Parts: sequence; C-alpha cells; structure tokens
Amino acid sequence: MADHRAEEPSSRSGSPDEEGRVSEDRSLLHQRLAVRELIDTEISYLHTLQLCASDIRNHLQQLPQGDLDILFSNIDDIIKVNSRFLHGLQETASKEEEQVYLIGNLFLEFQEEFEHVYKVYCANYDQALLLVDAYRKEPALQREIQRIIEAVVPQAGPSGLSFLLVIPLQRITKYPLLLQKILENTLPDAGAYPVLQRATFALQDVNANINEYKIRKEVASKYSKVEQLTLRERLARINTHTLSKKTTRLSQLLKQEAGLVPKTEDKEFDDLEERFQWVSVCVTELKNDLAAYLDNLEVFLRFRPHECNLDIPGGPVVQYCNLARDLQLKAFLEFKQRLEALVWQPLCSLAKVLVGPQNLIKKRLDKLLDFERVEEKLLEVGSVTYEEEAARHTYQALNSLLVAELPKFNQLVMQWLGQVLRTFVALQRDLAEQVLQRAEGSMTQLPHQHIPEPDFRKLVENSLGQTSKQLRSFRENFEKVLPPPTTQPLLPGSERQVQALWSRYGPGKLYQVTNNISGAGSLDLTLPRGQIVALLQNKDTKGNSGRWLVDTGGHRGYVPAGKLQPYRVVPSEEERRGQVGPHEDSRHLTPEPTPTCSVPTVTQVVAAYPFLARSSQEVSLQAGQPVTLLEAQDKKGNPEWSLVEVNGQRGYVPSSFLARAPSPAPWGWSLTS
Amino acid sequence: MSWIPFKIGQPKKQIIPKTVERDFEREYGKLQQLEEQTKRLQKDMKKSTDADLAMSKSAVKISLDLLSNPLCEQDPDFLSMVTALDTAMKRMDAFNQEKVNQIQKTVIEPLKKFGSVFPSLSMAVKRREQALQDYRRLQAKVEKHKEKEKTGPVLAKLHQAREELRPVRDDFEAKNRQLLDEMPRFYGSRLDYFQPSFEALIRAQVRPVCATSPPAPWRQARLWMHLTHRWRTTRKCTRSSGT
Repeated sequence: MADHRAEEPSSRSGSPDEEGRVSEDRSLLHQRLAVRELIDTEISYLHTLQLCASDIRNHLQQLPQGDLDILFSNIDDIIKVNSRFLHGLQETASKEEEQVYLIGNLFLEFQEEFEHVYKVYCANYDQALLLVDAYRKEPALQREIQRIIEAVVPQAGPSGLSFLLVIPLQRITKYPLLLQKILENTLPDAGAYPVLQRATFALQDVNANINEYKIRKEVASKYSKVEQLTLRERLARINTHTLSKKTTRLSQLLKQEAGLVPKTEDKEFDDLEERFQWVSVCVTELKNDLAAYLDNLEVFLRFRPHECNLDIPGGPVVQYCNLARDLQLKAFLEFKQRLEALVWQPLCSLAKVLVGPQNLIKKRLDKLLDFERVEEKLLEVGSVTYEEEAARHTYQALNSLLVAELPKFNQLVMQWLGQVLRTFVALQRDLAEQVLQRAEGSMTQLPHQHIPEPDFRKLVENSLGQTSKQLRSFRENFEKVLPPPTTQPLLPGSERQVQALWSRYGPGKLYQVTNNISGAGSLDLTLPRGQIVALLQNKDTKGNSGRWLVDTGGHRGYVPAGKLQPYRVVPSEEERRGQVGPHEDSRHLTPEPTPTCSVPTVTQVVAAYPFLARSSQEVSLQAGQPVTLLEAQDKKGNPEWSLVEVNGQRGYVPSSFLARAPSPAPWGWSLTS
Repeated sequence: MSWIPFKIGQPKKQIIPKTVERDFEREYGKLQQLEEQTKRLQKDMKKSTDADLAMSKSAVKISLDLLSNPLCEQDPDFLSMVTALDTAMKRMDAFNQEKVNQIQKTVIEPLKKFGSVFPSLSMAVKRREQALQDYRRLQAKVEKHKEKEKTGPVLAKLHQAREELRPVRDDFEAKNRQLLDEMPRFYGSRLDYFQPSFEALIRAQVRPVCATSPPAPWRQARLWMHLTHRWRTTRKCTRSSGT
C-alpha cells in the first residue's frame, strides 16, 4: 500500500523533514505490517484451535472422557473469547486512522477475560503433558493419534498432540510481543501511543498473573495431598536435608516464642485461619454427633416389641403389633436409609474435603518460618542463595493462595453444612408425618377413639385399678393354696414333753417337725416326724438362718429350718380326777392358771387296740374307735393312763392303746372285733 | 425287698386320672408361656423406650454443639438457623419424654404387676406337687398295710394310715381343683388386662397426655415445616447477599 512512498528516497535530497518523513513512513509501514501480522496470526490461531477442539477431539474417541477433558481443558472457552476478540480486531480494520488506537482499547477490554480463561488452561497444561507422555509409551495408541492428527493438521509433525496443545500458551505470551512491535513503530506523540503502552503493560501483567496462578496451583497440589505413610516410610524419609530443615524451623519457632525475633503477624490470614478452624470443628462435631445419633437409631431398630402378642387375638394388641411392625420395618427403616444417604454421606465427604486446606495451612506455617529466616539473612547479609529464594517464593505463593481462596472455601463449606442440616430437619419432618399418619390410621380402629385424651386416661386408670385388684386376688388365691398341713399326729407319750417345753419356753417357740430329720453333723439332731421342739435360736453360730438351734426337752442341737413348722399347743385341761360320768363341772373347762392357747379343741384320738375295762374307772375300747382324750395322765400324774371319753362314758385307758388322729372328721369305720 | 433303694419296674401308681394330669399340664404350660412372653415384652419395651430417649437426646446434643461453636457469634444467619434447630430438637426431646412416661405408666408397670403373680403361681404349683407326693406316699402305705394279714395291730395301723391319708388326699384334691379353676381364669384375665394398655400405647404415639396441647407428631411436623421454611428464606438472603 504505502510501499511506493518508501521507494522514493532517491528523488529527494537529504532534507531532515524528508528523512524524518521517510523514517516515519517506514515505521508506519512496520506498524501496519505488525497490525496485519496480529490479525492474520489471530485468524490462523483460531482456525487451528477449532480444528483441535472439533475434529481431533471427536476422532480421539477411544480415549476416556476424563482424559479428553484434561487434554483439552477449557479450549472451548478460549475459542469463544478469541472469536469475539477476532471479530473486534476485524472491525477495526475498516477504521484506518484509528485502528491502532482501537486495537489498544480492545486489548484493554479483553485483558480480564484473557487472564481468566488462559490461566485455567495454563495451570492444567502440565497435567495434559503428563498424559501425552503416557500415551507416547503405548505405540499402538500413539500411532493412531498421529494418524488422526496428520489427517487434520498436517503441519503438526511428529510431535503431534503436544505441538497442538502448546499453541494457546504460545499465543498468550505472543500478545505482549506483538503489541510491543506495534508500539515501537508508533510515534510517541501519536494519540494511540499511551493506549498502546497501557495495553502492552496490561498483557504483560496478564502473563505474570497467569504464571503466579500456575505456581500457586502447583504448590497447592504438592502439599495438599494426604499421604498415608507407614512409620517405616516416614523414617526412611528422614535424611540430613529434612533434618536440617526441621531443626532450623524449630529454632526459628523457639526464637519467636522467646521473643528474640518478631513474629510476622498477618491479621488477615489469622482471621481467615480462625474461621476455617471453627468451620472444621463444626463439621467434625456434627459428624460425631450424627454418628452417635445413627448408632442410637440402630439400637432402637433392633428391638421388636411387636413380635410378642401375648397370645391375644384381635383387638388393640394386634393393631398395635401391626402398627409397630409397620413403623419399624417401613417408616423407620426408610428414615434410616435416607438419613444415611442424604445426610451422613455428604457430611463425610465434607469432612474429607477439609483435610487438604488443613495440610496447606500447616505447611504455610512451616514455610513462614523459613521465609522469616531468609528475610533475616537478607537483612544481615544482603543476598540469599537460590534455595532460600525459592523457599521465600514458596511461602509467598502459599500465602497468597490461601488468602485468596480461603474465604470462598469457608463460605462454601458453610453453605454445604447448612444444606446438610436442612436435609436432616426435612427427614425428621417426613418421619414425624409418617408416624402420625400411620398412628392415626390405627387409632380409627380403636374402640375408644372418640374419647378425648384426659377421659381416656381416667378410663385406663380405672380399668387398670380394677384389674390390679383382680390380680391381687389371684395372687392371694395362689398363696392360699396352702392350708398348712394340719398338725401332725404327735408321737404317743410326748405330750408331757410338749407341756414341759411349752411351760419353759412359751407357746410361740414351739415347732413341729414336718419330715424326718436325720442329722449329719455332730451338733445336728435326728428327729422323727411329729416331734415337738422349742426354738432356741433361729440361726446357727455362723449366721446361717437355715439352721436353727432347738431344744427337744432332752437334747439340744441344730435342725434344718425348712422342716419345722409352728406348732400350736392344745391346751390340756386340768385333769379331772376321779370324775367319771357326766358331771356338769367336768364339761366346763376350768381356767388354767397359766395362759393357754386360744384353741380349745380337745383331741380326738383313735383307739389302736381293743381294751376291756377291768374296773369302774376304766372304760372299754374297740380297736379303731374314736375317743375323746381328756387327760393324758391319770390323777396321780401317771402318763401311762389317759382319761378318755367314749360313747358318753369316761374312763381311763392305757395311753399306748391310743393313736392320734388329726382331724375331727367323723368317720364310721368300724371293725368287727 | 426293702434293701433295694429304688423300685425298678414298678409303674407309678396312677392315683390321679390321666386326663386331670393332662389338663393341668396344659393349663400350666400355657401360663408358663405367657409368663415368658410377658417378661420379654416388658424387657423389650423398656429397651425400646430407652433407645427412643437416647435418640432424641443425641439429637439435642447435635444442636447444642452447634450452638457452642464460635461461628454463631460471627455469623448471625448461622446463629438463627442453629437456634431454631435447637428449639426444635429440645421440643422433640420433651415430647419423647412425655410419650415414654405415658408408656411407662400404662404398659410397663401393668406388665410388671402381671408378672408378679407368676411367682405365687409357681409356688402354688410346687405345693400341689408336694401334696401329690405326700398323697402318693401315704397311698402306698395304705396299700402296703392292706396287703398284710388282718390282725389287730395291723388293722389299727391300717386305720391310722387311712386317717393320715384322708386329709392329705383332700388337701391335694383341694389344691388341684383350685389351681385348675384359677389358672384358666388367670389366663383369660390377660385379655381384659392388656387391652387398655395397648390402646394407650397406640394413642401415645399420637397424643401426649396434656389435652390442651395438640398431638405430638403433629406438633413436630408443624415445627419442622416452620423450620425448613425459615431456612429457605435465610438461604435466599445469603444467596442474594453475594457469594
């Protein structure tokens, strides 16, 4: 276009204006060339990108989608941004004079978007490269990829994928250079100059920021990985380098604590960290509490009271069993499952997510100590080694990463937490609704459903009161199934003994042996059934209350308490001496000087053998005949004779001819003698 | 042969008819089963109510721990959310406590009372058994005396043995009859006894004791709905106030 102008230097002589004009023309030419270059390269760049994104990516079907995502990351976004940029560039082409100015403005406009979109791509680029290397190791796959690429983009050459993937990186770094070129060829006093200058600086900033972002990402991925190392592995990792690192850090920390060295206080970071700590504590506590809740739910579900129905068919019992079974197996189970899926799982994932930042924060502290030491050294010495510079840099990268991203992170975690809590509440609500629904459904079948609650309660109380009375009566009945085995027949001739014991110890202390006792130890007694003993002590020397010390009138010893039962003495009447035959007085019981038992029964005995009376004072007996024993001794106190009444007659009979019978039941058995 | 310590080959004399014995066994067997079921039900009920209470207590702990977190001071939205949750949990706990008390009164205590009759029953059965043994023994004695030749002393002894036998037999008969009477009645009484308990149990799920307050799960449901509504609006606020 303006070439012919530059070809005219020979026609003029060397006037400074002309020379100036010539150089001006030349720079203008160069400028135009640069602008053209910018636009042309942009077009071809975009074209290549589109080829990559559409044709090549679609043909690489045998790779899994995740790999494709890593390889091409956000290439689509880049294409969108750059197409708009190109469109803007092409529009400026029409405006000849102001083109450069407009280009500058365009760059400034697109600065942020470029940064935003390219930094993601650049940060991901390393991973993409790793993948490409992995593919290279598989020859078959590699050949396939090559074939596809050569078909579409022949100029890619043998480096194939990596050639294509690096193009965006190259482009974004080229922009400042292109701008620089345009700037060089623009006159300083042109209107576009300041704009261009600003644009150039802006693009340089973009590049610097992208770099920074990339470093941060690297640092984050390096330190946030949770490494599960065994103790041995950890020990193996210790070498002189790590040891020295750790010791210098420790010394720095101690110096800080001692106050020798000022601690770098970063209030902003500290606040952020504090909040992060609270958030993570919140999540951990919630997780623990929820675990406890789930455990209790588990325990609750384990018991099935609805399974035993007390053999009561029909009625509220069966309904309750059905209801409980329903609730247990459906409502609660569903609740538990939903709880686990919708509340517990997300909470666990949330807890896991917190681990990365925890590690980063810890690392940052370590690096801070390094950084401070390096700073110190810088102050003292004035220069630092390369490693120290790197350490410094790492710290700064970590710090800026954390400061930039922690607030968002905290907020996201809080939102997540809020969501979890809300889900928990919603689940509880659903459960409550279900319980209500089922219970109400069950209630409609109950007999008393229309009765309001307080009346129903009274009803229940009344009925329970009544039935408990009934129960008590049952219990008493069962306990009553024990008329005491009635007083056993006394051994003949023992009544005197009984009297003696009775007068000595009192009526309350007399016991009768219910079963034959055979004594084992030296102090134990052997007693036949029916023997009367008096209780001396109701426990033995060791305190065993099953063994009682008793007195038989002759011997003393221990007997098992279970074989004794209280004996009620039959009061003996005063002996009627010489009173045979029905006398009025003899019918009356004369009051005894000693207090008697209240049982005034006269013993009925049975004649064991027939007896013929030989005197008027004796009375005849028939074997088996019931007689009424009045006195167990005669008037002289001789126990061998007993005063009896038989058939209306009284008289003495030998005591040994008598046998005791317990009940006064009349019987009419008689034996023909 | 009296030196043989045990009688081999002699069948136990059936002094009570087989049908009676069978009836008795059947009734007593039913009651034994009932006892076991009552005990198990009581235990399970207790454990179930304990677990229920434990659940709601752990729910309260969730909200308490959340409240004690310093985030509440910083973040007012969070504080309001957690306070609402806390109120809800505490109320749920209170309902559960009421429900459990109700169940305790109307189900677990009656079960206990019912179960307390069983020891007396088993004692009574034991005594009947004892009486049966006595009866058998004395019956055997009577038989023994019967077989001997009839002399005076023997007859007297026989008579005496019969005299001893009679009250024991009557005693046994009485015990047997009483138990045979009472056991089915006791068994049948469980129907009347437990119906109101279980009815109350169902009702407890729906309505608490106090008549003035609305039923428990209904209240719960309303509370939860309140809560979720509030949180939805809060979330909208936080969303609109910026990321």
